[in-house]
Amino acid sequence: MRYSRFLRERYRTILSYIGLVNLVTGIVIILPLFFLAARPAESRYFLGFLIPGGGLCGLGLALWRTLRPYSVSGITLLEGAVVVVISWLIAAIVGALPFIWIQGFNFTQAVFESVSGWTTTGLSVVDVTKAPHVILIYRSLMQFAGGAGIAIIMLAAFGGAVGQGLTTAEGRGNQLVPHVERSAKLVLTIYGGYAVLGFIALMIAGMNWFDALNHTFAALSTGGFSTRVESIGYWNSPWVEAVIIVLMILGNLNFLTSYALVRGKFKQVIRDGEVRLQLVLYPVCAIVVFLGVTLGLYPALGKAIRVAVFEVVTALTTTGFSTVSYSNWNGLGWLVLIILMLIGGGTNSTAGGIKQYRIYALYRTLLWEFKRIFLPRSAVTDPDVWQAGTRGFLKDIHVRQVAVFVFIYLVTYFIGSGIICAHGYSLKESLFEFASALGTVGLSVGVTTATSPAGVLWTEIAGMFLGRLEFFVVFIGLAKIFKDLYTCSFSPSEKRSQRRKR
Amino acid sequence: MLKSRYIIIIGCGRLGSYLANRLSRDGHSVVVIDQKETAFLNLTADFSGFRIQGNAVELAVLKEARIEDADCVLVTATDDNVNLMVGQMAKEVFNVPQVIARVYDLKRERAYQEFGIRTISPTELAAFAFLGAIVDTDNQGKR
Repeated sequence: MRYSRFLRERYRTILSYIGLVNLVTGIVIILPLFFLAARPAESRYFLGFLIPGGGLCGLGLALWRTLRPYSVSGITLLEGAVVVVISWLIAAIVGALPFIWIQGFNFTQAVFESVSGWTTTGLSVVDVTKAPHVILIYRSLMQFAGGAGIAIIMLAAFGGAVGQGLTTAEGRGNQLVPHVERSAKLVLTIYGGYAVLGFIALMIAGMNWFDALNHTFAALSTGGFSTRVESIGYWNSPWVEAVIIVLMILGNLNFLTSYALVRGKFKQVIRDGEVRLQLVLYPVCAIVVFLGVTLGLYPALGKAIRVAVFEVVTALTTTGFSTVSYSNWNGLGWLVLIILMLIGGGTNSTAGGIKQYRIYALYRTLLWEFKRIFLPRSAVTDPDVWQAGTRGFLKDIHVRQVAVFVFIYLVTYFIGSGIICAHGYSLKESLFEFASALGTVGLSVGVTTATSPAGVLWTEIAGMFLGRLEFFVVFIGLAKIFKDLYTCSFSPSEKRSQRRKR
Repeated sequence: MLKSRYIIIIGCGRLGSYLANRLSRDGHSVVVIDQKETAFLNLTADFSGFRIQGNAVELAVLKEARIEDADCVLVTATDDNVNLMVGQMAKEVFNVPQVIARVYDLKRERAYQEFGIRTISPTELAAFAFLGAIVDTDNQGKR
């Protein structure tokens, strides 16, 4: 009885924070309207954004104003999970509405595009040659916001005493400085600063302002929505590719590493485990792809090198821009890309996948297992991992968490690929496309189109959602909601007291 | 409210964790150091600073907490000798402007004062409270 009253009090707080997150999400949905000023011909789409965005803002504001807690208190990790899961579900559905109203999509297609946007995947069912520009900028903005988890970061930066629970629940938990508020503001500054630089660099490299803006957003958030069917391949320019590669790598860096980089602490950057893993993976995979695939496919040597480098970076950073089609690539090329997509980007960055930190930690553990054989039995050692200037030791519990995560990731990967196979696609295509969805990459070999069966699209939606939020948050968030609903409505003590009243 | 400061708290027991939760909620940057990882369970959801597991007597641990940038160090470990040593390092080696330490044994207070470390003694505070209580009953008796 007392517990359910306590729960109700906590859910007031949770709902009020959900309201705040919705407010920010709503603002992101309204933002493309400012772009209409530059393109008055598309102003007939005004209401398509204003109604869902404004409605969400209104709902959020109402929730916050009515339920705002009397005393400010932080929320725990579990409660943060509830906020994150519910806010993401709402964002996925409301974010889909403009696609339904303006593009005439059915519900499945619209939700797919919306989830692909927020999760920074970049798989798309929109025909970018026919879509109005305002829809294109809306997609890029969704990725920019979803990549860093803008809504939650804004909340942490300006929402008062929120605590670590929320940012940790969203998988963006590593703090730069020992206070959640200042840390969030720093992340916003770094992210925004990169965006400004990226925009200028792309303009100089030869894009027009509209394409530069879209591609800056999509590259930094490791999203990968493009404004052209051929993606980056449209420009066929080494300069554009170079700028995009830099932006993608910056986007996939852990914000901690970015912070060290911005402050000029290169020693910390170079020591970082994820950076080292990348320094090995980029050249090795690029050389394999170059020798095994592109050298034979593209007559010009320069083109072959550029393609090999670009495709490797876009896969590992989970961005999903492409410069060529992969349909004529051989099995080796596909395999390298699939492996890179499974590994994915850095932790606490905008990227997806298993995450480089986990792979690096497992590698260190493996190395250490071998080393231990040659040490005296009583030697006490732990494998160490550097993360942006601090040296951490991997205890058994950390290794266990990493192992369980990799296991659940692979299980989901094979189940999802199996479902796509069952719809009649080849094994090769299914493995590639679902690795792309689950790692929020967005490279496609043609499985995902507007005419794909609904079963395939929903499987990919589930993959993107689970991949972005890293599984456990979704599970514990949903489990907590159901458990608490059960306790509140069916708890034995409650029933007893109700019976007594009768 | 005070302007936001960088505060390092040594010891995350009942006192240390209370201070950490409170200061973090008030918007300060807080780093807590404790030898036992279980001590961090005392921290609540209000706390959003860093936790460092290690012995604060070691220079490496203090450096990891970036003690040279700290505005204030609160030493709340349970051992007076440890407190004195950590306080002394903070003051002498890292030039932290403000160091406040908890000291149980009143005889040691002078040692702290020689290093310019401000002390707060639970023993002394309790003693004052006791003495005050005795005087009060005396007064009541006379009335």
